[in-house]
Amino acid sequence: MADNGPVAAKRCDAGSLSSVSMETILALTELEDLERVYQQLCAEEKEVDSELERLVGQEGTIHTKMLALQRMGPNLQLIEGDASQLSGMITFTCSLAENVSRKVRQLDLAKTRLYNVIQRADDILDLKFCTDGVQTALRNEDYEQAAAHIHRYLSLDQSVIELSRQGEESSAVDASLLMLQDAEQKLKVIVAEKLDEAVAAVDLAQVERFFKIFPLLGLHQQGLDRFGQYLCSQLSSKAEENLLLASGGDLGEKRAPLVFADTLTLLLEGIARVVETHQPIVETYYGPGHLYTLITHLQQECDRQAQKIVDKFIQQRGYHNKFQVAQSNMMKSVPGEGIEPRELDPVLTEVTLMNARAELYLRFLRRRMLADFEVGDAQSVTQEHQQNTEKLLKHCLLSRTMQELIGYYIPMEEYYMRESVNKAVAMDTYEKGQLTSSMVDDCFYIVKKCISRALSSSSIDCLCAMINHANSVLESDFREVLYNKLRQGFPATTLQDIQRGVSSAVSLMQSSLQQGKFNTMGIESAEHAKAAFLVTLNNVEVCSENITTLKRNLENDCSKLFNQGAGSGEQAKIESCLSDLVDTSAKFKDLLQEGLTELNTTAIKPQVKPWISSFLSISHNIEEEEFNDYEANDPWVQQLIVNLEQLMAEFKTAQSPVIYDILTSLMTSLISIEMEKTVLKCSFSRLGGLQFDKELRSLVAYLTTVTTWTIRDKFARLTQMATILNLERVTEILDYWGPNSGPLTWRLTPAEVRQVLALRVDFRSEDIKRLRL
Amino acid sequence: MYFACDLCIPSSYKSGEYPVFLFSMSMEDYDYLFKIVLIGNAGVGKTCLVRRFTQGLFPPGQGATIGVDFMIKTVEIKGQKVKLQIWDTAGQERFRSITQSYYRSANALILTYDITCEDSFRCLPEWLREIEQYANNQVVTILVGNKIDLAEKREVLRQRAEDFAESQSMLYLETSAKESDNVERLFLDLACELIQEAKQNKLDNNDTAPMPGEGKTISYLSCCNLN
Ligand SMILES: Nc1nc2c(ncn2[C@@H]2O[C@H](COP(=O)(O)OP(=O)(O)OP(=O)(O)O)[C@@H](O)[C@H]2O)c(=O)[nH]1
Ligand SMILES: [Mg+2]
Repeated sequence: MADNGPVAAKRCDAGSLSSVSMETILALTELEDLERVYQQLCAEEKEVDSELERLVGQEGTIHTKMLALQRMGPNLQLIEGDASQLSGMITFTCSLAENVSRKVRQLDLAKTRLYNVIQRADDILDLKFCTDGVQTALRNEDYEQAAAHIHRYLSLDQSVIELSRQGEESSAVDASLLMLQDAEQKLKVIVAEKLDEAVAAVDLAQVERFFKIFPLLGLHQQGLDRFGQYLCSQLSSKAEENLLLASGGDLGEKRAPLVFADTLTLLLEGIARVVETHQPIVETYYGPGHLYTLITHLQQECDRQAQKIVDKFIQQRGYHNKFQVAQSNMMKSVPGEGIEPRELDPVLTEVTLMNARAELYLRFLRRRMLADFEVGDAQSVTQEHQQNTEKLLKHCLLSRTMQELIGYYIPMEEYYMRESVNKAVAMDTYEKGQLTSSMVDDCFYIVKKCISRALSSSSIDCLCAMINHANSVLESDFREVLYNKLRQGFPATTLQDIQRGVSSAVSLMQSSLQQGKFNTMGIESAEHAKAAFLVTLNNVEVCSENITTLKRNLENDCSKLFNQGAGSGEQAKIESCLSDLVDTSAKFKDLLQEGLTELNTTAIKPQVKPWISSFLSISHNIEEEEFNDYEANDPWVQQLIVNLEQLMAEFKTAQSPVIYDILTSLMTSLISIEMEKTVLKCSFSRLGGLQFDKELRSLVAYLTTVTTWTIRDKFARLTQMATILNLERVTEILDYWGPNSGPLTWRLTPAEVRQVLALRVDFRSEDIKRLRL
Repeated sequence: MYFACDLCIPSSYKSGEYPVFLFSMSMEDYDYLFKIVLIGNAGVGKTCLVRRFTQGLFPPGQGATIGVDFMIKTVEIKGQKVKLQIWDTAGQERFRSITQSYYRSANALILTYDITCEDSFRCLPEWLREIEQYANNQVVTILVGNKIDLAEKREVLRQRAEDFAESQSMLYLETSAKESDNVERLFLDLACELIQEAKQNKLDNNDTAPMPGEGKTISYLSCCNLN
């Protein structure tokens, strides 16, 4: 025991192979515990045994692996040797490559130098060749050849030439150079002289010949200047001829009114053609970006000639004079003293045509110049080039002159529009059977004409200004006219005059007497005024629609303009001006509404009201006998329907469907309101209630046939009142009220229900009070 | 208090550069719409004022305006979206008849002169005659003396301009488009003033409008008194 103790303890410490320590075992005293521990130890022993067996089993495989490793040893030594050999080879190759490339680099350098030498030799040879060539060419008057030599010389590397002069052949080179410079100067003078001669002789072939030589001598600017001058003088003489023809006046009838526009067109087309024909030469011989310079020259001549044409136009057409008359007439608006609008027609058309031509021409120039710049500029046209182009076109005299003409045109066109509209109003006629009178069509014809003319000028600002003026004419002037007509009101009928009292009838008679036309005139003029009012209502309605149409059509027209490439800023401008037309259209709609209200108040209400209130004189507190009587001889509703029919018939023929519809709607509202008021003033028996129900049904049935509006809704309250007046007993209302109402929505308040119930003479007020609603 | 926002469409934009839906959206998306027209002699700085306000820049080498330019800017004032249509007119004489056609529908006019140019100040009465003749009588006019950054070159004393403005019952403000002095304030104050007017107008109209269907006074009397 003593021997085993430390061993067991040691085992325990070392590997804790057993979960039970020696001490624990020693400390055990109970048999039960001992047995449990014994069991445990036995199980552990078994485990250890099997583990041991597994390890012993592995011995074979481990041994095999060891053997394999031992065999690999020599192979590894072999590989190491190979690797170091490879590394040596790579190092060697590398240094070899390094050597080769150095040599190649040296070769390359040598080659470049060689080329330079050859180039220089060539240059020197060329220099000699040029020197000789230029002499010969000059002698032979072969200026193209001479210029080509000079061009070659000028494109030689100046530093190379300098170097050559320091070399052994310096004196020879120097001599050559001197000679070449001399020839260059000589050639420049000759070419300039020759060009001038050709210009003087108007020899286009020669002009072009020498024009092409200038860029070879580095004289781009000079060449373009002289060529420009030549083209300008050509244009000038042609233009003067044309203007003389134009102001001579011996023209065909047809073109005479447009002769200045035509003359301007000839000028601008002429210049466009010049640009078109000479652009290729400039492009080919001068390179891209030079068209701008040439056009700058041409534009100066264009400005001069256009100004002459415009001056002549102003003088012969009396343009400023006409403007002043129109202007002062609009300020003071003295009728009759102004100029006939018709007289302005031709000059207004001519001036818009002139501007349209100028715009077209300037657009053409812009396209051409930008296209030319685009070839030369790296990616897109540089900002500087773009600005130069815009500046040239926007600030040229032609543009300014046209802007001035348009500046005068706008007030004249405005005058034309206002005067013509005034005339249309003054000559307004109405034909029976028409819904509107002549001034509406006339007025819109004029407005459209003026705006179209402004549009045809191609100037967006001009168009916008005229849209603004048109809007002003429609919204202020024309609307005022219609408004004033409506303000005269719809005359009450003679019947009403009598009803209104003796005093007004007397005054009517007196005024008629004074005019010496007693009987008929009063009635006739009333009829006339009535018709005038109704026609005006139609006019107002059509105006509102016409303005909407006008706006839509203008939008279409303008979209065409924008397809031609006006900017979106311009588009926003027009859109904004056009949107004002919408407001104006709405103002006409308002006016219509007010006019209808007026008609309702003065024509419908005074008539309909007594018809309705006559209900009061028909007793509805009736017994069987009276009820049957009513059945046989309708006391009220049939007459009312006949009256209403007569009243509306008048409006049906005189008014547009839209207005008639609004009118019937106003009338039905009026009837329902008046009926309600009236019914509340009556008393009913049971049969009286039934009678009322019948009457109401007839009325609603009739009204349904005359209008497209649904009127059930308008009569909902009355129908409910009829239902109440038809009850057997007070409490029967509860069958229809509250939870029992079913699909019915009550439009009457509980208080109103009580009020209606109280109209029944046979219902006791205590019963009504007791109702829980 | 208020801050400026979004959208401005300078007319110098090339086509297709701003999406159309943005524009149409802004058409409906506002509480107030006002037209403001700038007038005054050539070269006093109208275009620079507008560009400063709408684009926040001072354009170098600004060329003379041809005809009219149109810009839109929507600002927010006390939570309300106010769309300003700004018409920048050319000061040069030959464009006068184009410019005049815009007066009538303008809600506000900004009459501009250049404090370093006595001449532009002396032309003001002439401009006022134009306004008298062409604008509607409810238009709000504000006098603006521009270029105060050039203090050393001032030719028109502030007091003198203020007195003049007062005698013509105009508002007065001095600005510098270059230094961005008072430019924002100019347009925003104007917008506030216009909102006030609009509210006042609405009240007045409601006061005088007769009850529908009652009496013979017709309310279209009151809305016809332009010019
Ligand atoms: N120092 C200074 N210069 C300004 C100011 N505002 C404008 N300018 C300059 O004044 C010149 C004219 O400015 P514009 O804005 O083109 O004048 P405008 O009133 O629009 O002129 P028009 O379009 O011809 O009627 C330009 O050279 C601007 O640089 C400013 O506040 N200070
Ligand atoms: Mg400007």
